[in-house]
Amino acid sequence: MFQLRWLWANMKGSRRNYIIALCLSIVCNALYIAAPYFQSRIIDTFVSSPDAVGNLELHRDLLFRLLGGMIGFTLLRTVCQYSCNMYYEVASQSMIYKVRTHLFRKIENQDMAFYDRFRTGDLMTRLTGDLDMVRHMVSWVIKGCVESMALFTASMVYFFTIDWRTALCILAMTPCIFIVTRRLSKNAGPAYRRVRETSSALNTAAQENISGNRIVKAFAREDYEIKKFRARDEEYRKANINAAFVWLRFQPLIELAAGGLSVILLLCGGYFMINGHLTMGQYVAISGLLWAVSNPMRNMGNYVNDFHRFMASAGKIIEIYYEAPRIVDRVDAKDRDKFRGEVEFRNVTYSIGGKKILDDISFHISPGEHVVIMGATGSGKTSLINLIPRFSDCDSGEVLVDGMNVRMHKLRKLRKNVSIATQDVLLYSDTIDSNIAFGDSEMEEAYVHRCAELSAASEFIDKLPQKYDTIVGERGVGLSGGQKQRISLARAIAVRPSVLILDDTTSAVDMETENYIKDSLDNKLDFDCTKIVVAQRISTARNADKIIILENGKIADMGTHEELISHEGYYKQIYDLQSGMGEEPADGLSGKEATD
Amino acid sequence: MRNKYDVDEQLETPFNFSHLKRSFVYVKKYRRNMAGSLMLSICAAIIGLIGPLITQRALDVTIPGKDIKELFLLALALLCCNAGAMLCGNMSGRIMTKVGQNIIFDIREDLFAHLQKLPFSYYDDRPHGKILIRVINYVDSVSNMLSNGIIMFIMEILNMIFILIFMFIVDVKLSIVALSGLPLFMLVMFAIKKRQRRAWQSVSNKSSNMNAYLQENIVGARITQVFTREEENAGIYDRLNEKYRKAWMEAVKYSNLVWPATDNISTLVRVAIFVMGLVILPAGTVSLGTLAAMTGYAARFWQPIMNLSNIMNNFINNISYLERIFETLDEPVKIHDKEGAEPLGTIEGAVSFKDVTFGYEEGINVLEHVSFDVRPGESIALVGPTGAGKSTIVSLISRFYDIQQGAITVDGVDISGVTLASLRSQMGIMLQDSFIFSGTIMDNIRYGRLDATDEEVMQAAKTVCADQFISLMEDGYDTQVNERGSKLSGGEKQLISFARTLLSDPKILVLDEATSSIDAKTEALLQKGINELLKGRTSFIIAHRLSTIRNCDRIMYIDEKGILESGSHDELMQKHGAYYELYTSQSV
Repeated sequence: MFQLRWLWANMKGSRRNYIIALCLSIVCNALYIAAPYFQSRIIDTFVSSPDAVGNLELHRDLLFRLLGGMIGFTLLRTVCQYSCNMYYEVASQSMIYKVRTHLFRKIENQDMAFYDRFRTGDLMTRLTGDLDMVRHMVSWVIKGCVESMALFTASMVYFFTIDWRTALCILAMTPCIFIVTRRLSKNAGPAYRRVRETSSALNTAAQENISGNRIVKAFAREDYEIKKFRARDEEYRKANINAAFVWLRFQPLIELAAGGLSVILLLCGGYFMINGHLTMGQYVAISGLLWAVSNPMRNMGNYVNDFHRFMASAGKIIEIYYEAPRIVDRVDAKDRDKFRGEVEFRNVTYSIGGKKILDDISFHISPGEHVVIMGATGSGKTSLINLIPRFSDCDSGEVLVDGMNVRMHKLRKLRKNVSIATQDVLLYSDTIDSNIAFGDSEMEEAYVHRCAELSAASEFIDKLPQKYDTIVGERGVGLSGGQKQRISLARAIAVRPSVLILDDTTSAVDMETENYIKDSLDNKLDFDCTKIVVAQRISTARNADKIIILENGKIADMGTHEELISHEGYYKQIYDLQSGMGEEPADGLSGKEATD
Repeated sequence: MRNKYDVDEQLETPFNFSHLKRSFVYVKKYRRNMAGSLMLSICAAIIGLIGPLITQRALDVTIPGKDIKELFLLALALLCCNAGAMLCGNMSGRIMTKVGQNIIFDIREDLFAHLQKLPFSYYDDRPHGKILIRVINYVDSVSNMLSNGIIMFIMEILNMIFILIFMFIVDVKLSIVALSGLPLFMLVMFAIKKRQRRAWQSVSNKSSNMNAYLQENIVGARITQVFTREEENAGIYDRLNEKYRKAWMEAVKYSNLVWPATDNISTLVRVAIFVMGLVILPAGTVSLGTLAAMTGYAARFWQPIMNLSNIMNNFINNISYLERIFETLDEPVKIHDKEGAEPLGTIEGAVSFKDVTFGYEEGINVLEHVSFDVRPGESIALVGPTGAGKSTIVSLISRFYDIQQGAITVDGVDISGVTLASLRSQMGIMLQDSFIFSGTIMDNIRYGRLDATDEEVMQAAKTVCADQFISLMEDGYDTQVNERGSKLSGGEKQLISFARTLLSDPKILVLDEATSSIDAKTEALLQKGINELLKGRTSFIIAHRLSTIRNCDRIMYIDEKGILESGSHDELMQKHGAYYELYTSQSV
């Protein structure tokens, strides 16, 4: 039932509107009960009464008053109904709005561990389908329950005032409904949780197919994808049918109980009439309003059903609603604006899932230095740089920026000063201009152009028909790998960071361009910054102030180009490989031997 | 025109019922089931009519006669009636549940299958979230309309016709009065409908925008954090959310009007009948019984109309989703098998370009008059500045795009005349983006050849030197990975993607910056391992690291919309041209 408490907590701010809506709901239903009054009065007085003709002559004004009343009453009732519905919409929409914005912020602030657990398609399901179920609960299910309850109670009270015996007989049916709905409730819960799971799996299959459309085509795997999707869709269909059939299994019982009311009335009411305990008029009055008791009973089943769908969905939302990122500001965090750009690691150890990624790392980078990090795939380069803007926290040791532990910095300030051009280039489906100005949307256009120029992107951008206003697709598709990397670089430079980290950002650009970029970074930046570059190529590393070699999470070597090539080691090996002087063939692909 | 998150997608086709008509294609398949369900519903309705007769009999005869035995019998009969109606209803419900689910299954399958045929440009031109929401949410939304909606629609129409007949039998004049409300009703509905439809279209647009932005932010959460854009993005999302809320409120403003409007018109009609019967027509022309019956019928006549207007309401909301679904289904497939396309037999791997001209957009050519021949088994390196068209050339071989002029042949067969699947399945392309599906590492590699055994998968991983890091992971090959996860580094993703390509055992191998994120040492090991695999395969290698390409049989320098230089490393070095400059600039 936590879901309901959570719902109520989120209604804060819309509770007033919601309560008004609920009250209006009750009023509307009362008006519905009273609605036939005018018409039956007209028929009684002017149509079926023995002196109807006389009444028509004498009380013509009454007729018009009643007719007027009929119109006025309907108008009142419908206005009431309309405003009631709108109150529900206002309340539920503002509640959903609140939850949605909250969830967005939650998702946005999560650390890597969160994204290991939740897939994009799954998160999308939570924020679309599940949220809609919550809306349905607020604007429909609760409303229906309250209305039903009000209607039921009011008519039962009315029945008791007419004749307690008959009323008691009718009331005797209600426990049946409770028993049946309880049983239904037990079965519906698991069925809807299954629907929920299969829908998330379906969503993920579709999402990955869309994102990976290039791979699908490259391997001509369309048929396989269709088959895979069909299997998920089949599961989803089965789960849906199953859930609906749970309801259909119980529905006859509910229907029998609700419809049984008319049988009871006929039997008991008839018996009491024969005994003289009940008059014809009283019987007709009760029978005329019997729907107000049987409909709520019928609907209970539906609401129980919907309730379980809500519980399944709300559970999924709550899971991320209260998800807290582990990396947050400390209460005593210091708020510093401009950094000098000093970075230091002291005996840093870091592991993911029990696997040691970084082991006892120590080094110091002075402000303005240009440092290159090299190492084999999986040696921990990306993990290392992720510790600097605190995308992860190390297990032991200290990471210091400007002489202060990164945990003592305000996250926002720290990250504003440390800019990364990530390995996995992701652009937004927006203009190139907006993508470069991502870190500061107020950025002047001239500055955007300057950054593009520094990162050797301006040349190809100028060739595009719409230049900086070209919309690039998600993940920058439509641009070549090198082009994306250059935009990503421009984006990183544009925020004028104190520490600029390039995570293998120039791997897909050609040599000439890379040299140009290196020159821009070293000589043309109009701000001071420390450069930390993850690279694979000697040419990228050779002019660096310091080169750090990582091997299996440890620093294997450190020094300048000259120092490192003067002795055997990883760097020397690479150097030999890339300059084609080693014992190992420096072949990209020793195609000659292979194919000649 | 490319679309982004804050731009509504324009819908060109105006509203018409042809969308509904078209959706009948999906319904038609289940017409037998639906007819059965309809019959059951009619049965239930007819059985339901017996109930009042029983009650009437009890009140008129049995109870005044104090016949308790008959009362019991009547109660039993009523119980049977209820049970009968209930059973019919329940069975009909069971049928329709399946029909509804089958219809969405069919639509979704068609939609998904069509999406598989759409070119890259379709995916490049719009946020992926907008495509996703169509496949999932929109299809779900229309299911009820196409199953129960139709049955209810027919039932209400039948209901209306029956009452209409009864009304006309009782009194023609008053019936006409009762019908006089219809034009007014139409007028009101028409006025509401127009706005309502626009409003719901806007809702679907705004929700699509909102979800597109959401999806991008889930995928790009990292970038947001790098640039500390959290608050600004949340602000943008708030605005999209607000626009959605406004659109929704606007739409329900009209939707909620339908029911009250109908209710009021129905009351007006009943008042009109009373006025007509009691006041205007001279006394005696209308019998009192008739009048009582007519007001009763008038109320019952408007009930189905009110229900119909509700159903219509629902239709209108959902048609905006249906329109989007059909729009996607109508999206032209640009690259498809030509009529009479033959599957390409097992190839040797000879590739020829004959005077090929190509541009992604009309008038802007990326390649002009490109011609070259590649022998089976030859390894070709493509070098040149970024954006010169190297990736374009290799994607043309797989026929990811159709060329404007010239011809591309594989083993002498024009690729535009063969089936796409037979062509692409013999090519192994490793793209710049290495996409990882959620699932195990084993599954990800096996994507290259679905029937590969575990041993073969592991062998491929060993060949590309991925075995080492995979076996170090928590569950080895069974480790669960996903696209944005932190478990794999960029280089590791490339290695997996490489293993995937090798497993597919292609005749023509394309490596497009395949090893850019892999460190030099691993790459060197890797190269040694795959030499074996390159035997008997034609390969195209795009790389910036000249060490990677130096030993290819032939190097083509791509620039200025064509091949600037072509030849072996030594030949090109002697030439002192563009390649020479490139090479010397890189040499350490």
